[in-house]
Amino acid sequence: MHSETADRWIGKPLLRKEDARHLLGASQFVADLRLPHMQDVAFVRSASAHGRILSIDAGGAEPGTVWTLADLPTIHPLFAGPELGTFRNAVYPPLADGKVLFAGQPVAMCLGANRALAEDVASAVWVDVEELPPVIDAVNALAKGAARLHDDWPDNGFIHSVITGGDIASVADAPVRMRRRFKMNRQAANPLETRGVVAYRDHRTDELVVYTSTQGPHVMRHGLSIALGIPEHRLRVVAVDVGGGFGGKNRLMPEEIAMAALALSVDHPVRWIEDRNEHLIASVHAREHHYDLTVLAERDGTILGIEGSIHVDAGAYALWPSGPFMETSMAARNLPGSYRIQHLNIDTHTVATNKAPLGPYRGVARPGACFAIERLVDELAHELGIDPVEIRHRNLVGPTEMPYRTGGGLRLDNGDYPTALDKAVAMIDLPAVRARQAAGEPDGTRIGVGFACYTEQSGHGTVEWVKRKSRVVPGYETATIRMMPDGSAQVLVAIQSHGQGLETSLAQIAADGLGLTPAQIVVRHGDTSISPFGFGTFASRSIVFCGGAVTKAAAALAEKIRAVAAHLLQTTPDLITLRDGAAHGPQGSIPIPEIARAANIRPEALPEGMAPGLEATATYEPPESGGVFSYGVHAVVVAAHPETGVTRILDYVVVEDCGNLINPMIVDGQIIGGVAQGIGTALYEEIPYDETGQPIATTWGDYLMPCAPEIPSFRIGHMVTPATSTEHGVKGMGEGGAIAPPAAIANALTDAFRDIGAKFCETPMTPRRVSDAVALARGEE
Amino acid sequence: MKSANFEYLRPTSLPDALDAANDETTFLAGGQSLMAMLNLRVTSAETMIDLSRLSELRGVNETPDAVTLGALTTHAMIEDGAVPDPSGGLMPRIASKIAYRAVRNMGTIGGSLALADPAADWPCCLLALDATVLIEGATSREEAIEDFLQDAYTTTLEAGEIIRAIRIPRNTAPWGVYKVTRKSGAFADSLAICVLGDAPRIALTGTQSRAQRLRRAESALHGDLRAAILADLADADPDADAYKRRCHLATVLAAIKEAQS
Amino acid sequence: MIDVTLTLNGTPRTVSVEPRETLSDLVRNRCDMTGTHVGCDHGACGACTVHLDGMPVRSCIVLAATCDGREVRTIEATRKDETFGVIRRHFHEKHALQCGFCTLGMLMMAADIIARHPTPSEDQIRNALSGQVCRCTGYMGIVAAIASAAEELRGA
Ligand SMILES: Cc1cc2nc3c(=O)[nH]c(=O)nc-3n(C[C@H](O)[C@H](O)[C@H](O)COP(=O)(O)OP(=O)(O)OC[C@H]3O[C@@H](n4cnc5c(N)ncnc54)[C@H](O)[C@@H]3O)c2cc1C
Ligand code: FES
Ligand code: FES
Repeated sequence: MHSETADRWIGKPLLRKEDARHLLGASQFVADLRLPHMQDVAFVRSASAHGRILSIDAGGAEPGTVWTLADLPTIHPLFAGPELGTFRNAVYPPLADGKVLFAGQPVAMCLGANRALAEDVASAVWVDVEELPPVIDAVNALAKGAARLHDDWPDNGFIHSVITGGDIASVADAPVRMRRRFKMNRQAANPLETRGVVAYRDHRTDELVVYTSTQGPHVMRHGLSIALGIPEHRLRVVAVDVGGGFGGKNRLMPEEIAMAALALSVDHPVRWIEDRNEHLIASVHAREHHYDLTVLAERDGTILGIEGSIHVDAGAYALWPSGPFMETSMAARNLPGSYRIQHLNIDTHTVATNKAPLGPYRGVARPGACFAIERLVDELAHELGIDPVEIRHRNLVGPTEMPYRTGGGLRLDNGDYPTALDKAVAMIDLPAVRARQAAGEPDGTRIGVGFACYTEQSGHGTVEWVKRKSRVVPGYETATIRMMPDGSAQVLVAIQSHGQGLETSLAQIAADGLGLTPAQIVVRHGDTSISPFGFGTFASRSIVFCGGAVTKAAAALAEKIRAVAAHLLQTTPDLITLRDGAAHGPQGSIPIPEIARAANIRPEALPEGMAPGLEATATYEPPESGGVFSYGVHAVVVAAHPETGVTRILDYVVVEDCGNLINPMIVDGQIIGGVAQGIGTALYEEIPYDETGQPIATTWGDYLMPCAPEIPSFRIGHMVTPATSTEHGVKGMGEGGAIAPPAAIANALTDAFRDIGAKFCETPMTPRRVSDAVALARGEE
Repeated sequence: MKSANFEYLRPTSLPDALDAANDETTFLAGGQSLMAMLNLRVTSAETMIDLSRLSELRGVNETPDAVTLGALTTHAMIEDGAVPDPSGGLMPRIASKIAYRAVRNMGTIGGSLALADPAADWPCCLLALDATVLIEGATSREEAIEDFLQDAYTTTLEAGEIIRAIRIPRNTAPWGVYKVTRKSGAFADSLAICVLGDAPRIALTGTQSRAQRLRRAESALHGDLRAAILADLADADPDADAYKRRCHLATVLAAIKEAQS
Repeated sequence: MIDVTLTLNGTPRTVSVEPRETLSDLVRNRCDMTGTHVGCDHGACGACTVHLDGMPVRSCIVLAATCDGREVRTIEATRKDETFGVIRRHFHEKHALQCGFCTLGMLMMAADIIARHPTPSEDQIRNALSGQVCRCTGYMGIVAAIASAAEELRGA
């Protein structure tokens, strides 16, 4: 806790401004909106994985209660995915258009006075489908003769692309070649607040107002405008309190478009609140990577190159705006991880299957890439009889080699990776773990320790996104700061804070820039009608981009405040400093509220020729477009039961460096929350499909969310290497926590059963998978 | 995720409830299984008879040999020792690991038995304790759990019959429990309970069908236990795959070990 | 529709509901008290936790009609409560919330944990929070907040 008299707010663990409303149960999420005459919507969803719709029977419903695509106003196709000639498009219709391509796809929408009544209508609707063979395995989907999802495609590939770095042929005769397969299975972001939309026509402003639980209202408005053919100035998109997103709320989804179109067609507000079942079968799905990799190395463990293939099971359609290819290319480009690996040759396939479409989830692609490389490194260590820590030291990029461009083309800017590893080894107390391991456990469980290194690119700007052929290039962010006549200020931004505490950390930044306290500043976000354009909160970008924009806007405003102060104090602006709510000159001070009053309502007090008002808008893009890299090392000790396969985490250490910290408390919160999600990926969460294309995990009884007993207390070691190219030396860090846990935990399991050589190559490492791996290694059935 | 509608009745006496019941009736106890299933629309009800006001289904009856718990006794009451424990600590231990606290505050032992989920805790525990079920309907009867449990989600309860209470013989013998779940509070993949004493009883659930006694193992406690368990498993869970067999074997051995230690 | 007469946050009320409606429907939709959140609607997340006759229950799997004659307390009724005030302050200070969606369920559970275990160990807290999903915080702040709130309340 810090008093509100400090002179610098950046770097302080200031308690969060957003807490009060949540703690009182007075926050407002989409489902909490109350509008007169609002009706609820329930979607009719495809029960089939793949089929042609023969007919849709409304089941005797009242006219106007069942809506199919044909009943909605014309909706324009939203092309999604990279702007590459080789990327095949698969436009996701808001309601099924003749075919259904996955079980759960929205087919029709039903209206009712409340959700239960809407579901009654929906349950009576009968969709007659001619079944087609389902495609459910991404590798087999490309085989000759496989059923095809998209009639106008020659096969099921969205795109096939070879990602190369260096010259793999130059290391073809490496003394060690080792091939392994890995799989990271499908999951979903599962924020506790599901998706939700309330839409209505506001006749006063002649706007279509769409409240939606989204991470990027401005970008969603742009997409809605294209889809609906409504100009953007007549669309307002608002994200009120958002109960978590993690990437899963950063795509314009068919339900959002359908709801907006429905609101245009009826004369009352409409609301759809996704239920958990819908979330599990039809929200943004994530991951499902298949790796088949061969590592090329020297006998001393020096890794020379990696070759092989990645198949990403991308589901049925491309989600707007980015589509699924970024997942694949990032997975390939991040394979070298934190290591000096210069030669890379990865055949990548982004494959359409009869499953829910794939999109971003915390870590995007990197949890898979990290799992693959960190498991490969451990496997190589095992193969060559080298200690896993030692082999990492032989390959980690050293601080003096920075900036270092990896074989994946990423420019690692700065940091000290080997020291981070040493620190993690020390914190986990490796000798003590080894001693305990040697002693054995009384209950027959096995102890293992695992390490995983990772990097996290953030703050990448225009050039990087253009390189990814992104349709929407989130190369900058904008902020407006408006000071009121009483000297209090509003910061208006286009990001969406849904747990990241940006209402607090951005206020800290603005407070330092303006010589105010955070209490004198309010941050408003998440509403297209209050801020200039911006891209939203994702890709660990908000603190770099939006923090930078706030810094620049505050600087511009401070300059004007100093000019006014200099005039009132009869000195020059360069001699004025802003601190403690006042402008201080060589001979006297003047409170900022007085300057604000002069600028806003007493313009006669201003210097001649100065425009009245105190408002500044600035955009910001970091100068290094390739981004800055947070990095770290996770170390974990697990205990696993060889027969039941139940795995418990005994200790978990995170060493991480994300440059300078704006609010260390919030940073730790992001790390811990990220690691907990990574543990979910590692041990619990999975959305399997059966051979008919039916999703198996359709409730939170089947899809396991880790809870307090599953998640340990973490110990965090911070290192600070300030970024040289960003404002305040910050690096984004929202995703990092989620990247390394699957790798670290799999390595720990491998360590636990190293004597028998059991292999852990697929997530989540459920009791069944662990037990089966042990049995296989023991040569049992 | 909302239930389809139904008629709702809340009788205040057992005779009224039995009178109101017919073939289309669904009984509501704690609702902790039923409400979730209704919300998911995997089941529906025509008429819902709320049992929560039936005083006949509450309360405790103690004799020197047994304790009879009303069907509406909640998991939390057993966990907290708010009702007498005939089991020497076994029942509170089982109760404390069923689902989550807020669920345990509502969920009832009678509801759990009536549902007979093959992964549920009470059928297995009550089987290990040799309990009996007191049933009211056209006639009253008392049935051994062994006979009451038929198959997954299947018991001898006829439509319109109500579980009034469960009679649990007092146990002073040592016991052991081992449960494998994919995460805390989840239904068991395998749950084994061993109660020693003159006639040791071992019960296993998490099978394809119902909680089962492992009789060969019971009589082989000092012999070739593994072989006996494996032979039992072949009967108890014939369709079990290799993982399930490994898992069951481990839980049974661990439960016995705990009981014997 | 049927009438349910209950004491909601200290006030006797009669609310008309369809028989199928749950306690969360009653609170959120019939009484417009939206502090109680719904995260799963099938009893698996704890976001909807309220107190029924003083005990935490999951309002999405409690039938509204069965609450007739009973006492229901939601987060809205705790705003001026001193014990809850202490727990809230510790949640704030320990960074026990991020998006805030799980928070009221956690608070309703926290009060119950502290009432039942005046000196809760970390294990007790974690086990008692089983099934209360928080997707954001990784639970560390929540566990710490409950432990320190219990300590303060014990002293009081
Ligand atoms: C998230 C979650 C996790 C769970 N995890 C577990 C677990 O790990 N282990 C476990 O054992 N259980 C678990 N349960 C189920 C829980 O224990 C239920 O409380 C129990 O299975 C049903 O009891 P109930 O009183 O809630 O019954 P209800 O849900 O009200 O009824 C269940 C069924 O029994 C019938 N019935 C109820 N009472 C009677 C009676 N007296 N006479 C005749 N029929 C009756 C009903 O008609 C209905 O068909 C879980 C539940 C939830 C929501
Ligand atoms: S909403 Fe009730 S438990 Fe999840
Ligand atoms: S704070 Fe977001 S779910 Fe807990």
